[in-house]
Amino acid sequence: MNNLSLLMDGFATILTWNHLMIMVIGVMLGMLVGVLPGLGAPNGVSLLLPLTFTMDPVSAIILLSCMYWGALFGGSTTSILFNIPGEPSSVATTFDGYPMARNGEATRALTLAFMSAGLGALAGVVMITLLANWVAQFGLKFSSPEYFAVYFLAFCSFIGMSSSAPSKTLVSMMLGLAFATVGMDSVSGGLRLTFGIPDLVKGISFLVAVMGLFGIAELMVTTEEGLSFKGIKSRIRIMDILRTVAELPRYWVSLVRSILIGIWMGITPAGPTAASFMSHGIAKRFSKHPERFGKGEPNGIVSPEAADHSAGTSALLPMLALGVPGSATAAVMMGGLMIWGLTPGPMLFITRPDFVWGLIASMYLGNVVAVILVLATVPLYASILRVPFAIIGPVIVAVIFTGVYQVANSTFDFWLLLFFALLGYLFKKLDYPVAPLVLTMVLGHRAEEAFRQSMVMSDGSLTVFWSNSLVTTIMGLGVLMLVWPLISKVVGLRGWRQRLHRQKPENHKPSTPDSRA
Amino acid sequence: MTHNGISRYSMEIATALLTGGIGVAICYGAWQVGTGWTPSGPDSGYFPFWIGVLVVAGSLVNLLRTIIGHRHKDEVFLDAARLKSLARFTLPIIGFAVISLLLGLYVGTTLYVLFAMRLQGHYAWWRSLASGIAISVCFYLLFELVFQVPLLKGPLEHAFGIY
Repeated sequence: MNNLSLLMDGFATILTWNHLMIMVIGVMLGMLVGVLPGLGAPNGVSLLLPLTFTMDPVSAIILLSCMYWGALFGGSTTSILFNIPGEPSSVATTFDGYPMARNGEATRALTLAFMSAGLGALAGVVMITLLANWVAQFGLKFSSPEYFAVYFLAFCSFIGMSSSAPSKTLVSMMLGLAFATVGMDSVSGGLRLTFGIPDLVKGISFLVAVMGLFGIAELMVTTEEGLSFKGIKSRIRIMDILRTVAELPRYWVSLVRSILIGIWMGITPAGPTAASFMSHGIAKRFSKHPERFGKGEPNGIVSPEAADHSAGTSALLPMLALGVPGSATAAVMMGGLMIWGLTPGPMLFITRPDFVWGLIASMYLGNVVAVILVLATVPLYASILRVPFAIIGPVIVAVIFTGVYQVANSTFDFWLLLFFALLGYLFKKLDYPVAPLVLTMVLGHRAEEAFRQSMVMSDGSLTVFWSNSLVTTIMGLGVLMLVWPLISKVVGLRGWRQRLHRQKPENHKPSTPDSRA
Repeated sequence: MTHNGISRYSMEIATALLTGGIGVAICYGAWQVGTGWTPSGPDSGYFPFWIGVLVVAGSLVNLLRTIIGHRHKDEVFLDAARLKSLARFTLPIIGFAVISLLLGLYVGTTLYVLFAMRLQGHYAWWRSLASGIAISVCFYLLFELVFQVPLLKGPLEHAFGIY
């Protein structure tokens, strides 16, 4: 198969000591970022992006993607040991991971989580390997109206699949699109929405937005609840690890099911978080012993983790092949690609196959490296969290500010950062979804360009979006996604999703008082 | 049930008004550059204008949902204790921004860490100051030397000849 030989080429590109070292550094940085509150995967990747400007794109994307895996693993670590999800997508891991660790089986919980995660991610990469070329070929048939239709589908999926009110999701997404239009209009060359502020001529950088929305706002919410990190001490013994690995095949049903759920939710822009919740909920529903869930049931760890990581990996497929990111972090990575001068989409497969397949090859290796590293260094990262928040919090904030400054050397960005922090804080507390805002900010220009070119092609008529079977199908799917909440309400399915989401505990609140040592 | 503090009801309304206001600003800014049609396609402001309209529409729906549905009337958004924790965290950050603008990121970091550790952690003055300086120095080494990325500097560094 052609794909296999391309993959081998990819391996050849990346198998250098340099790249391996970058993988290790990426994973370790990612874990650090995943373990610390206020520094999630999107944020961490944003912080690292400006530093990659001097690197070559292959090395840079390896660093960023390994950081992504590391952050996901780090998030699972705090979920299990501290009952504090380091990532939104690791919330579901707290349901059974923390109880199992509390029962004295921390190593087992961690190993189950990491191995499931690794398998989930590998499955996602295999899927990408098999489908990437096909999707890219398919994407070559796309013209502006089809691209806009795909973005439309993505936007509608967010509204339809979100657990928040559709109107709130709409506001969040439209704000992101609007922020993307600030600055110079690429078509006419004129300035838009700058309101006379010279610093806005360069537009609003999505990096600054992410650092405000996911960084400072997250810290604000965390601080407000007065969190203290008292975690479970974990001593990793090799024998425990091996025993748990041997135990893993028992859960193959959960694994396969979760991986499929994750792949589906990663490709459609539902995201790793939704995947992990759905997977846990479904595992509970179909289990012979649902009452065991929430008390340390192994399937309750395997399911969300496998889904979370397979979704996270699969989200990279639409990002690479079509230019439509399926998750906030994929959006940031896509932003990075564009900054480096690479335009994700079918053309990327043709013009830079070395980059694309190098990335895919690195995903295999990176995951293996990540699983090994993570099992070896868990106690180290767990001990970092014992540093009092009064010290760590300010350091994280200072890092965020320096990160913001590095984006464009503009002090005005500090104020933008604070604005986004306020917005993020309000949104998080009032149940407005934040990820769509970032997604639309990254996609904004491309969506608008697609729209305008379509309009030019059709002389201003909106019927261009129904002009051929392909674009009509995609638009139709989009409309379906949009009205899905209404349909499922009528058919009585709505309660199902709410019931799943209601399992989510209050953000960051430990389910037991802090008497844990 | 405690009713002291800001209710979620009021915050929902306030936020809907905020987003609506931003939406109106977007529409206005778009209208300024023209929202019609030119011979070469839609004008600059066409796309942003309709986006602004959607923002306003969504905000309106949120506003009405809250008011008409009397939602979240009994939920507390922020009470005095949480407000205090939040203020202790957020006010120093604003100070950090202002100071960094005037005196550079290094001085800003030092002072920020100093105040943050004092306010939030109640550490001793000298310990907080030492941490602040240590972190600033780490940043300098990491960013300027290892990553070769210049950070914002102020008059203090300029006096020492560091640019």
